[in-house]
Amino acid sequence: MTTTLFRLDYGGKLEREISRIIESFSEFQIDTGRYPQRWLAIKLLEADADILTHIRAMPNGEQVISLAAQSAEKLKSMLGDDVDMLIADRRYGFINGVVRQSLHRPHLDRITLTDRIDDIVTHKWLGLPIFFAMMYVMFRLVIDVSAPFLDWTDAVITGPVAGWFSLLLDLVSAPAWMHSLVVEAVIGGVGGVLVFVPGLLILYFFLALLEDSGYMSRAAFVMDRFMRVVGLHGKSFIPMILGFGCAVPAIYATRTIASRRDRILTALLVPLMSCSARLPVYVVFGLAFFGARAGTVIWAMYALGIVVAMLAGMVFTRTILKPDASSAFVLELPPYRQPALKSVLIHMWENTREFVRKAGTVILLASLVMWILLNFPWGVTDKRDSYFGQVSGAIAPAFSPLGFGDWQTSGALVTGFMAKEIVVSTLSQIYINANGGVEAAKPTTFGEDLAGIGLGFMDAAVNSGEILLSIIPGVDLVDEEAEAQDTILSRALREHFTPLSTMALLVFVLLYVPCVATLGAIKHEFGMSWAVISAVYQTAVAWIAAFLLYQGGLLLGFG
Amino acid sequence: MLSQLVNLLENKKDGLSLFEISRLMNAQPSAVRAMLELLVQKGRLAEVGPDGKVCAACGLESNCQLLALKGKRYVVCG
Repeated sequence: MTTTLFRLDYGGKLEREISRIIESFSEFQIDTGRYPQRWLAIKLLEADADILTHIRAMPNGEQVISLAAQSAEKLKSMLGDDVDMLIADRRYGFINGVVRQSLHRPHLDRITLTDRIDDIVTHKWLGLPIFFAMMYVMFRLVIDVSAPFLDWTDAVITGPVAGWFSLLLDLVSAPAWMHSLVVEAVIGGVGGVLVFVPGLLILYFFLALLEDSGYMSRAAFVMDRFMRVVGLHGKSFIPMILGFGCAVPAIYATRTIASRRDRILTALLVPLMSCSARLPVYVVFGLAFFGARAGTVIWAMYALGIVVAMLAGMVFTRTILKPDASSAFVLELPPYRQPALKSVLIHMWENTREFVRKAGTVILLASLVMWILLNFPWGVTDKRDSYFGQVSGAIAPAFSPLGFGDWQTSGALVTGFMAKEIVVSTLSQIYINANGGVEAAKPTTFGEDLAGIGLGFMDAAVNSGEILLSIIPGVDLVDEEAEAQDTILSRALREHFTPLSTMALLVFVLLYVPCVATLGAIKHEFGMSWAVISAVYQTAVAWIAAFLLYQGGLLLGFG
Repeated sequence: MLSQLVNLLENKKDGLSLFEISRLMNAQPSAVRAMLELLVQKGRLAEVGPDGKVCAACGLESNCQLLALKGKRYVVCG
């Protein structure tokens, strides 16, 4: 069998210039060595940097380069484009021709796996239940699988870490107030929030999986029908999905929406989507009061956020934000793809890092301010008499009809205006201190602490694995008693709340005034008046919803 | 093919996505992607995000959640 060397015909004008350059190799005695002359000529026309360097190093090389440059200029003036573009154009044209002649796709091939999956997940009736089922499974996994790690982190922070700090302070003979500052403000406040890092890692892992697989676009598509009820379209659901992570980037994401009215309405609804900062509040109360059903309660909070957003949207559409001419909703559904583990891990780490950074800055600062307000006037023994207690006590009556009219909760809710996680850090500071502070552990050596941390982590990993496997129907590896681990905060909360008042509080936390960063984003994008409207309407809606839930529950005998 | 692609985008103010271009040119997305990359590299086309801003001007790059959700669009430069 004989083979012939393939040569792509670049067309008369290009071929003439290629031949001219090949001839110049002989004329100027250029040794092309191992390179085919035609290939070298084409590369010179394309002004390939490596080849130019190679030829320039040869005797008479400059003359050949100059000739190639003249050819390129000539071709550009004749054909109206850069030579490298002309060459690439010919190559792509040839490839396209070959593909057309040699590849015949039967019609059936056009129905891809993506189309088949989309037939189900974007189905008129099945699409929405599938979306909510996926969210339900995700939050059950987040809560159940992270619970052993949450207990482990709590044990590490309140055990060995608190012990090391105390030891260090003893070594430098630190005064009692310094002990109080470190243990209550830093460990109680910041540590109380850092405990949720394992849960957030898992939440962001699942969100990244949904995004990278291409499902998120389907969720927007599925929600389009419902968004139209509130005078929006599916495009507005994308910022709302982002709002499950953090409302601030979600507010800026409304820039993708063309109509200003649609943008404003979307921005007013985005903070009703339960952001990750609210998750610590749900988890603390959920695990303290609802145990194994905490995942369901948390899922209900996310679903309630969407429902209230729909209702609020309907009200706005009929009052201050009447719809303008509707624009068509065009959303591209990319093909499903297998998420890349590296990309998912990067996404998960970057979002969690942001949470940890906030714990080390905003929450640390807030915890220090809280500590000052809780301990001044200096020497105050009953925290109710502190500046914080006095201010919180003054506003507490406003929350009494909602079932949580004590000064501790009222104060924690006010501090949540800075960032929602601070509700937990404030409650940690108040209740952990009131219950005698971080539990005094038996004296241990540093090596014993490290071994304990390692063994605890392995235990948590095994427990999480068992919980994960128990999700498979018919497999039950979970020891129910082992699940019922308690934190100091959980025990303290059970003394102050009932399941009904807890539900009312969770609803209030879900719906009340957005954090200061979110209001800043709304002000930046739409002006101060819309930021004020957002703060006022959400607080009013939160109060009414919590009131109806609590008072309705009492009437039905759930108190 | 490249000139056909540029001509296709010339009248599209909001640009087109990879899959829209593939459909209109009746070509495989993998083949079109290589052409788009070359044209972006040569400065003929620009990649824009879902908000219509040029991606190259934004530092988010692979971290952009909007791009992950909606994909890039391509517009003719200048």
